Order: sequence, then C-alpha cells, then structure tokens
Amino acid sequence: MFQNRAESLALALPAALFAAVVFIVPVLILLSEGLRLGGDWSLAHYVSFLSTPLNLTVFIRTLKLGALVTVAAAVIGYAAALCIVNLSSRNRGRMVGLIVLPLMISPVARTYAWIVILGRTGIVNQALTSIGLTDAPLRILFSETAIFIGLLQLFLPLMIISLVSALENMPRDAISAARVLGANWLQVFWKVILPLTKEGLVIGGTLVFTGSLTAYITPAILGGSKVLMLETLLYQRVTIANDFASASVIAMILIVMSFSANLLLKRLATARAKR
Amino acid sequence: MKKILLVSGAALMLVASSAQAQERKLVISVYGFAQDAFKTILYDTFEAKCGCKVVVETGNSVERLAKLEANKENPVIDMAVVATPDALAATRAKLIEPIDVTKLSNYEKLYDIAKDPIGGHMSVGYTFYATSIVYRSDKITINSWNDLFSKELAGHVAFPNVTTNQGPPTLYMIGKAMGKDTPDLKAPIEKVAEHKDDFVTFYVRSSQLTQLMQQEEIWAAPIGRFAWEGFAKMDLPIKWATPKEGQTGGMNVMVLVKGAKNKDLAYQFMDFWLSTEIQTKLAERLIDSPANKEVKLPAAVAENLTYGEDLVKSLDLQPAEAILDNRESWLSQWNAKVGQ
Repeated sequence: MFQNRAESLALALPAALFAAVVFIVPVLILLSEGLRLGGDWSLAHYVSFLSTPLNLTVFIRTLKLGALVTVAAAVIGYAAALCIVNLSSRNRGRMVGLIVLPLMISPVARTYAWIVILGRTGIVNQALTSIGLTDAPLRILFSETAIFIGLLQLFLPLMIISLVSALENMPRDAISAARVLGANWLQVFWKVILPLTKEGLVIGGTLVFTGSLTAYITPAILGGSKVLMLETLLYQRVTIANDFASASVIAMILIVMSFSANLLLKRLATARAKR
Repeated sequence: MKKILLVSGAALMLVASSAQAQERKLVISVYGFAQDAFKTILYDTFEAKCGCKVVVETGNSVERLAKLEANKENPVIDMAVVATPDALAATRAKLIEPIDVTKLSNYEKLYDIAKDPIGGHMSVGYTFYATSIVYRSDKITINSWNDLFSKELAGHVAFPNVTTNQGPPTLYMIGKAMGKDTPDLKAPIEKVAEHKDDFVTFYVRSSQLTQLMQQEEIWAAPIGRFAWEGFAKMDLPIKWATPKEGQTGGMNVMVLVKGAKNKDLAYQFMDFWLSTEIQTKLAERLIDSPANKEVKLPAAVAENLTYGEDLVKSLDLQPAEAILDNRESWLSQWNAKVGQ
C-alpha cells in the first residue's frame, strides 16, 4: 500500500512541479506585490484601494453584472439544455456543435458584432421602432445593458455545455416518474432536475461568473470608460500607472470573488440536495 | 575523389558560415503590428546585408519596459522601439544608453523633431503621426478643437479614452483651445466631464470608429493619422480637420539598451531603418510615416500619412516629460470625473 502511495506521489510529482512553476508561483509573486509597501508586509494597498469610493462603485458594479449574467445564463442554459437532451443523439451532437462554434471565434469579433446589432440603426432598434415600442432608436450601446448582453452571449455556451452534460448523466426515467406521481413541471424542475444536475450548475456557474469578472475586451468596447469594471481598472493600473501593487490587489479581489462564487454555488447545491 | 573533396569543402564552408551567422545575432523588441511587412521590407533585407540573424520580440510598451527592467543586469534585447514617454521612463530607470549619432549615416536626413526627441540623444525618432479630428463634412464643419463640444455634435462624437494614445493629446489640444494648457490637463478633463453624456463613447480602440461612423452612430472623432486610411475608404463624405489651434500627435523612437551585447549590429540596424530606401518602402505600404525628410511619396500615399515639411513643422507634440509625470494623475482625474 505504502509502495503504491509512494509510486503515485512520484508519478504525480512532475505534474505538480509543472503546475507550481507555471501557475502557482507566478500568481503568488503577483499577489505578494499587493502585500508589500517599501519592502515591508502591509495591508496598506488593500485599505487604500477599498477606501476609494470610485473603486467600491466599480467593485459593486462588477459583482452585480457577474451575478446577473450567471443567473441569466443558468435560466436560459437550463431551457436550452433540456431541449437539447430531448433531441435524437445525432441532432444533439449537431446542436452541441453549433453552441460550441462561437467559442472558436475571437471574443473581439463577437463583441464587435454587438456594435452592429445594438446600434441605433441595428436590428434591435429597428425591431423596437417597427413594432411601435419606441418612437426613436434607444441608446443601448455603451451602457451596462450592452455589457450584460455581450457577456451573456460570450459565456452562455459554457453553461449550456455543462448542463447538457449533467442532464445526460441524469437517470432518464426520473422525470417520467415524478410526472406519474403527479408533480407539475415546476415541481419536476425544482425537486428532480435541479438536485440531480447541481454539479453541472456549479461548474457552469463558476465558469460564467469567473469569465464575466475577468473579461476585459467586452466591457472595454461595449462600455467604454463610462462603465468602468474591475478588470478595466486592473488594465489601467498596469498599462498606464505601471502600478503592479494596485493591480495585484484587484487580481486578489477577483480571485476571492471567483472562489466565493464557487463555494456559494456548491453550498446552495448541497443545501438543496439535503432538503 | 577531387569532386568529393570539393563538395565536402564547400559543405564545410557552408556550415562554418552558417555557424558564424548564428553567432551574429541582433535581438530587437518592437510593436506587434504589420510584422509581415516589416519582415519583408526590413528584417530579411537587413539579415541579407549584415549576414546576421535578427531575432524579433513583439509586445506593447509596458511588457517591453518590464522585460528590460527584469534583465537589467544581463540584457537580452539590443535595441527597442517605444513611444517617447516610455523612452523617457526607460532613461530615468537607466535601462537605455545615449545613442552615438555619428554612427548613424542617415541621422542628418531626419526631420529636426525626430533627431533628439527626449534630449541627451537617448532616442531617435523613426516615425510620427498627426492627431486631429475626423468628421462627416455633410453634417458639420470642424474648425476648432472646441467644436467637439458644440450643440450640433452632441450625441455624435466618440472621444478617446484617457488610457489610449490619442486621449492625452486630444485633451492637450482642448486645453489649448480653452486657453488653459497646463500639463495637469485639469481644465480639459473637467470640460469633458461636464459634457460626458454628449459623447457616444470614450473609445479604447480606434478600429471601433470606422464601424461606428459607418453605422452613423458618430459624426466625428479625434484620431491618429495612422487610422485615417480606414475612413478614407468609406463611401461617406469624411474629412480630416485642420483646427485653428493646430494638430498634435505622437512619435515612436528607437532606443539602445544599456549594456547591449550587439551594439554595432544595433547601430547598423537603426541606420538601415532610417535610410531613405527603407523609410520609403514602409511609407508606401502605409505602415509608418517617414521621419526621413528625403523620402518622396506620390500624393495618393502622402495623403494617408503624416508627410511633408510644413505638416511636420506644424505638429504641436505634447512633451514626453509632461506625459510621463502626469499620466497617473490624468487617469485618477478621468476615472473620478468621467468614469463615475
């Protein structure tokens, strides 16, 4: 047994060393920048960053947009995934392929497409004015709404793929059994589908939330500097101010937010499963 | 037997000369754009001329300066190109050394503003660009930088974000138009903040602008001349403004890394890049406006570049020192007043 364990550890050692050198050490070096002030360890950079009203506004905006995108992606993702798993295996493969396709296109190109769609002469405004909902084109671009739409489109495929995978692993007859026992569709979703696909939701939610927090190009192009986000601030601190200490504080905040979201989603999933 | 000996000898000579070429290696750090054209026009021809190898590293200025700083004790780059404020930052950090201009045979051919942009011969300009306002001439006329705030243009202007290369020069010219051209840019930033809802966006990439102009989201935007070609190709009446306060712009310079291992090659390469032949070829491909005043261009090419003695003399460039010393404070003011 000991020999097997030692062998396992020895086999894992190269991968662990690689991960440490390539991922963990650089992140630790970066994060340590934010905890140093003139050579001494200090929380001064954190205090200074969090006590600036502008930074707090940006922090709350980033958190809010990340959460909204994740919730919207979960709602749309479940609807899409449920439709997909009910298709024949051939059509299911085709649909998954179509959903994965946008991931192969640069986020820059996808973001630029939204400038056409959401512009004053774009199809959204044309539709709104033609059905009489608005008299004049709305200013949708360069707003939080535009960033929300851009981020949702960017990360929705990740949620759908996670949920499709989770639904495929769910016992096929669970839904039928619940229906036979008299559950309506809402009860089936809440008491059967959601608990049985919680792993997919946690993975998808974490990917969408983390992606939304750390995306730079979409908020920068669809929001401009009228709608600052944490990642925009981070970029500014590095490229303009050459201030790696503040950038490291922002990076740390983003990491903590991502981990917290993961823990929260796991906790919610576990709580539902125990009920 | 004689034939075999001859072939072997030739092969040996080839190996030896290729080994020698490998020893002579110039490492440069440059911007990432138009690298295919740079390779054909500049790198390959220089390699053939010097019998050496040119190793090209690309990236933005921040990455470049960070790398120079990290390898300060044992430099891996011989020469780099950066914007003037970054050259000044590198000078202050003692990352670069003065250029011996007597080793540049093309030095005297340069426009005066390119000869010693940051002082002390710490850099030499190889290209520059004008910054002005591009606008829809059927909708509006622009004669002054103040026109960006006119009622007619409200809701139709894209303004450069302060984090872009065009942001500070635009604010600088607005300050001039207001008669308040202090380096802190306080007055122009406040003016932009007062009118911030009148601007469609504060753009971060000039590539966004052609699309916005095409969709009639905007009628005007301050841009660098390097982005003009995209507008000129549009099937719309678009003009390049000549505001009464003048045009500003920016300059990119060559620097020699302190302790460079291949200084001689670096000098040869810089001189080659500044030559009339190479500057003409790069200009003809609309890559860089020439800093060499002997370059002669056809009108169709010249109108897409910052070209000609009169235009170059009229450029009112923001001093590198003012940019470097104030950019952090500009960013704080901008975020507090415009980004809220």
